[in-house]
Amino acid sequence: MGQSKIPVDLILSSLAEDAEKAHERVQKASEVLLSPLDTEIASTPYDIVYEEDRVRLKHYRPVTEIRYKTPLLVVYALINRETMLDLQPGRSVVERFLKSGLDVYMIDWGYPTRKDKFLTIDDHVNGYIDDAVDLIRKKHGIEKIHLMGICMGGTFCVIHAALHPNKVKNLITTVTPTNFDTDQGLLHIWMKNLNADRMIDAWGNMPGDIMNLGFLMLNPARLIIDKYVGFLENMDNKGFVENFVRMEKWIFDSPDVPGETFRQFVNDFYKKNLLIKNELHIGGRHVDLKKLTMPLLNIYARFDHLVPPGASDKLTGVVGSEDKEDFCLDTGHIGIYVSSKCQREFAPKILEWLKERDD
Amino acid sequence: MDDTKQDQKESMSLFEAWMRSSADMMESSLKMWQSVAPAGDGGEGNADQRRNRAREQWETTLNTWRAAVQVMREPEAMEGLFKGINTMPEILLKMVQPALNGVFHMQQEILKRAMRIGKSTQAYSFENLDQEAFKAWTEIYEREFRQFLSMPQLGLTREYQERLSAAMDKYNVLQATVAEFITLFMLPVEKSYKVMQEKITQMADKGKLPDNAKDYYRIWVKTLEGHYMTLYKSAEYNEAIGKTIEAVGEFSVAKRRILEDFMQALPVPTHKDMDELFKEIYQLKKRIRQLENQNKTGETQAEE
Repeated sequence: MGQSKIPVDLILSSLAEDAEKAHERVQKASEVLLSPLDTEIASTPYDIVYEEDRVRLKHYRPVTEIRYKTPLLVVYALINRETMLDLQPGRSVVERFLKSGLDVYMIDWGYPTRKDKFLTIDDHVNGYIDDAVDLIRKKHGIEKIHLMGICMGGTFCVIHAALHPNKVKNLITTVTPTNFDTDQGLLHIWMKNLNADRMIDAWGNMPGDIMNLGFLMLNPARLIIDKYVGFLENMDNKGFVENFVRMEKWIFDSPDVPGETFRQFVNDFYKKNLLIKNELHIGGRHVDLKKLTMPLLNIYARFDHLVPPGASDKLTGVVGSEDKEDFCLDTGHIGIYVSSKCQREFAPKILEWLKERDD
Repeated sequence: MDDTKQDQKESMSLFEAWMRSSADMMESSLKMWQSVAPAGDGGEGNADQRRNRAREQWETTLNTWRAAVQVMREPEAMEGLFKGINTMPEILLKMVQPALNGVFHMQQEILKRAMRIGKSTQAYSFENLDQEAFKAWTEIYEREFRQFLSMPQLGLTREYQERLSAAMDKYNVLQATVAEFITLFMLPVEKSYKVMQEKITQMADKGKLPDNAKDYYRIWVKTLEGHYMTLYKSAEYNEAIGKTIEAVGEFSVAKRRILEDFMQALPVPTHKDMDELFKEIYQLKKRIRQLENQNKTGETQAEE
């Protein structure tokens, strides 16, 4: 009688060992989960210096001497919240900027309600963003400010910079979709078949929960199963649990997107790709990318499944700027801001680039 | 023939006698009423007025009956009446028959359409995916049953009924679409189990079976991820997700319309009311902003 090819004895002993470890883990986990946890996000102190409708302008309190002449305005996307740039001390882009002596402002888009369903991209770009830019210019007595956009917020910044080049000194776009005619990301494929008109007629605004469900469905094996298996394996580790809960808080804090803005973004950008074709009109004005002449730093992520490189890396080729640079990081859409590795690359790159162009 | 005439004559005299005795009875009850409750002068309040009105009604009825008795006493009228009574079943049948035919026709239509179910499904093969069953059902529903919900509604409440039918229709479509989508969405899970079985057999054959449960999980998750990526890039999935979102939207709109109908009876504004108000506020704010900008530009030019 030969030896079995299947190591049944080993498998069984391994299972027994796993069961024992799991039992210990659950015991420890209950202690961790029942103890006070530090899961606060966005704890860097700030003042609200401007409010209009649901929108607020945050001014972060400087933690050191201001070493940059020009303040920076950060414009986040309308999807999810700007708190991602300030997840926790030690993992905060805002904190790094402040420690380097940069004066930082950030737009908080708030939570749109049904009353905001008629707001268009024009209202966001030539309304809220432009008002914030004017306020900072006036407050600091300067002609131009630094502008930095995140994802969809970056697209808004590109439009603003092209329409108001006299107000923007330097432009930084991060994981910003500008070319929508690509098959690299599933989002770009799905959006082409999406009937945005029907959705907005049905819901008024685009519900944040439905968008989140869509994002989860981009990779259910990892985002719905594996992520939580990972949590179960590490739930006895307090630090891990705290970080995990912080990310959960951020991910599922999803405001709705104003209906008309969503409709316009799907139809004019994802379906017609008007921006990169230089055919976009906002508020009756042509968004001519050749008029975007200020220095441009375009940062994108190689493994971004939401805004793949093909959606970001065409911008520098079509703008009027002579001083322009593409910078690619080996990470994903969110990792660019929160991963430890990118904390060492992303913020320092921006600070260095701005320093060289701050005079 | 003579027997029939004789029968008719007897019936006629019987009917005449019955009419006359009915009139007599009505007349005597009226007289009794008059003796018990003499006519008021109209100044004794509402109860008296109501009694007078009732008596007047009774008198009018009696007079009408008397006139009828007078007319019916004529042999021609009596003959006409009996002719009418004889033809009554025929008239009733003529009235009811079209309605019965309509119901029967409708039943036949439903049966016919139900019998076509088999024929429709023949066009699909059930060899591969269960999803074909959903497609078949959707097609049958849209081709055969949807028309019943699209039948024109009539009368005062027709618009409300139409909206109700529309919501039922959208709900049916939504159910079928979601079922199809879920089946498609779960396909990678089914496939990944199958692939796992094959992989385990292969590894067992080679004697390279991992002894750690986590290794099996890792292989499975990686396989599952791969299957999802393949599915997501398929035209079928793109079509299904587009249809599902569309169906969810259509049902939401139809449901809202019914709710708005119901809410008309409640003292609360509907989405439609609020949207009109919000739009007005939005437009006013925009107009104020334009005027402010024009004003600002004017001031700057004046300063220069």
